[in-house]
Amino acid sequence: MKLAAAWVLLGALAVRAQATPPAPPPKDADPNVEFHDDLGRLVRIPFAPQRIVSLAPNLTETVFALDLGARLFGVTDFCDYPPEARTRARVGGPINPNLEEIVTLHPDVVLATRALNRAETVEALNRLGIPVYTTNPRTVEDVVASVRRLGEVLGAKARGDALAAQMEQRLTDLARKLGGRPVRRVFFVVWLDPVISTGPNTFIADALRHAGAESVVNVKQDWPQINLEEVLRQNPDYLVFAGAHQDDPQGTINSLKNRPGWSSLEAVRLRHFAIVSDALDRPAPRMLDAIEDLARQLHPEAFAPAAAPSSTPAAPRRGSR
Amino acid sequence: MRPLTPRRLLLTCALLAGILLVVVFFSLKFGTRSISIYDLSALLFHSVTGRTDQISSDFRLIILDIRWPRILLAMIVGASLSVAGASFQALLRNPLADPYVLGVSSGAALGSILSLIWAAQLPGATPFGAFAGAIAATAAVYFLGRRGGELDSYALLLGGIITASFLSALIMFLMTTISGRELRGMAFWLMGDLSTPSPVAPGWLFLVLVLGVGAIYTTAADLNLLLGGEQEAMHLGVDVVRVKLVVYLGASVLTGLAVSVSGAIGYVGLLVPHLVRLLFGSDYRLLIPATALGGAIAVVLADTLARTLVSPTQLPVGAMTALVGAPVFIYLLRRGMA
Repeated sequence: MKLAAAWVLLGALAVRAQATPPAPPPKDADPNVEFHDDLGRLVRIPFAPQRIVSLAPNLTETVFALDLGARLFGVTDFCDYPPEARTRARVGGPINPNLEEIVTLHPDVVLATRALNRAETVEALNRLGIPVYTTNPRTVEDVVASVRRLGEVLGAKARGDALAAQMEQRLTDLARKLGGRPVRRVFFVVWLDPVISTGPNTFIADALRHAGAESVVNVKQDWPQINLEEVLRQNPDYLVFAGAHQDDPQGTINSLKNRPGWSSLEAVRLRHFAIVSDALDRPAPRMLDAIEDLARQLHPEAFAPAAAPSSTPAAPRRGSR
Repeated sequence: MRPLTPRRLLLTCALLAGILLVVVFFSLKFGTRSISIYDLSALLFHSVTGRTDQISSDFRLIILDIRWPRILLAMIVGASLSVAGASFQALLRNPLADPYVLGVSSGAALGSILSLIWAAQLPGATPFGAFAGAIAATAAVYFLGRRGGELDSYALLLGGIITASFLSALIMFLMTTISGRELRGMAFWLMGDLSTPSPVAPGWLFLVLVLGVGAIYTTAADLNLLLGGEQEAMHLGVDVVRVKLVVYLGASVLTGLAVSVSGAIGYVGLLVPHLVRLLFGSDYRLLIPATALGGAIAVVLADTLARTLVSPTQLPVGAMTALVGAPVFIYLLRRGMA
């Protein structure tokens, strides 16, 4: 009976949380709630956890986007956005975070992601009695769902729902704008020496699809090393550069016309380049900015003010040699 | 070098054990939060007397649940690698031999990669896969190293090196073709890393360590004779075939044990036996226990540096062993020659 009463109270609190900022847990009831994380593990955490540690940059961004930055006490060495994240205690890198540092922060919950953190870290933290909620978004849609879910888990359901709805709206708007436009065949340059691109199962590949593009690379590995011959054979419409992976993306682009092989690419001759920020590869709300930005670079005509659909689109010639 | 007496053996081991204790104490003290010597002593006293309720839960968690298991692991790994290195140096009569020369670590690396591909979500998949890989590589090299029904040092060395490079090629192939998702931790593993606690209870690891070192120690007197040449040892009544088999299997199991929980920590197995030889002489009856203690000291020291030097970021311990070990070794080598 007592437990049932606690759940009723919790339910009432959750409803209240829709209207007001998250309320502190009731003093007299069991303050814990249980969630299944993306790996299917049952995670038991206090309602509206007051002390959060994030083990990945995208999770740090999401926590701030949910207006819960004040409850974030620990971040990784790589958490650079928003700038305020830099002021939080650092717990080391995502692959081998410092357990001591995490323990001294007394977290109510640690947020992890399958893509970046190791299962061993999650196990080690569980053994130390620290609950870990692991996310595993693999597509852009997953990220929207993940934002909504994290809002619920962290006791900010209203904010999570609103944020997710806003992201969905932007994706719908973008899809409408790009509807009927030719899909750009792009080569995503992760690295130039050696040439490394992305496989179809990566997060970037899905983000490209939402930006009205598809990668010409279709191999199983996530970060395959690609033969330049193959790039020439595929003759991509655009080359897309990840801004964060190059010190000077513009300089790299300018150097391409003097590089043997690259210089004969049609995309290089026509200067069909796009540069995206590293937010494209961070499953967090900000990735929508990157997707929209990429769409704008690849389909400028779709974003022209009062674009007349009849005007001749400046689509690159395809397959002409 | 003076002849080995039980007294000298005991004194040397007691000295090294004392140094180890001091090193462990300071390794417990330093970390993200440094703890005062007084608090640490009180904590250790209370935990030994069983009054853990007297300890603040923060310290208990950090010292007893994070630092101590890691230090224990470092000691076991260091002792295993060093004794394995000393054993392989005697078995192959080659001062350049280290625990990894015969491909045990490459087998372990392949085993752990395969376990990551097939069973990544199972807890403890990596260490068991690695240990199975180490055993498989040991068996393969054993058959390559046999000539006329017994282990031949040269056939063993060549067979081991070939196996190691073949397995490394397989590892490179797998790491570049298989999707990178599960292999993230692999780079740390290949460098040697103690930051993730072992899913196997330290008691079992310690048991394997004691059995392996014990088996090798039974041949210590024979190993001294073997260093003078196989023929000579045989004339002196040494069962060379048996000794080589015991040493080969013992050293391989110790290496497999170490790499399966910590990855391939370099240099310890090469440098520590030589350091101990330079300091205490090359009598294997002293060398084996002294090397075990020395290896434990070396890895605990290196791991303490690895986790405190750029805290809270942690370096792989393998980087520290080489960084610190090589200069110390060069110093002692030059001093020994002068």
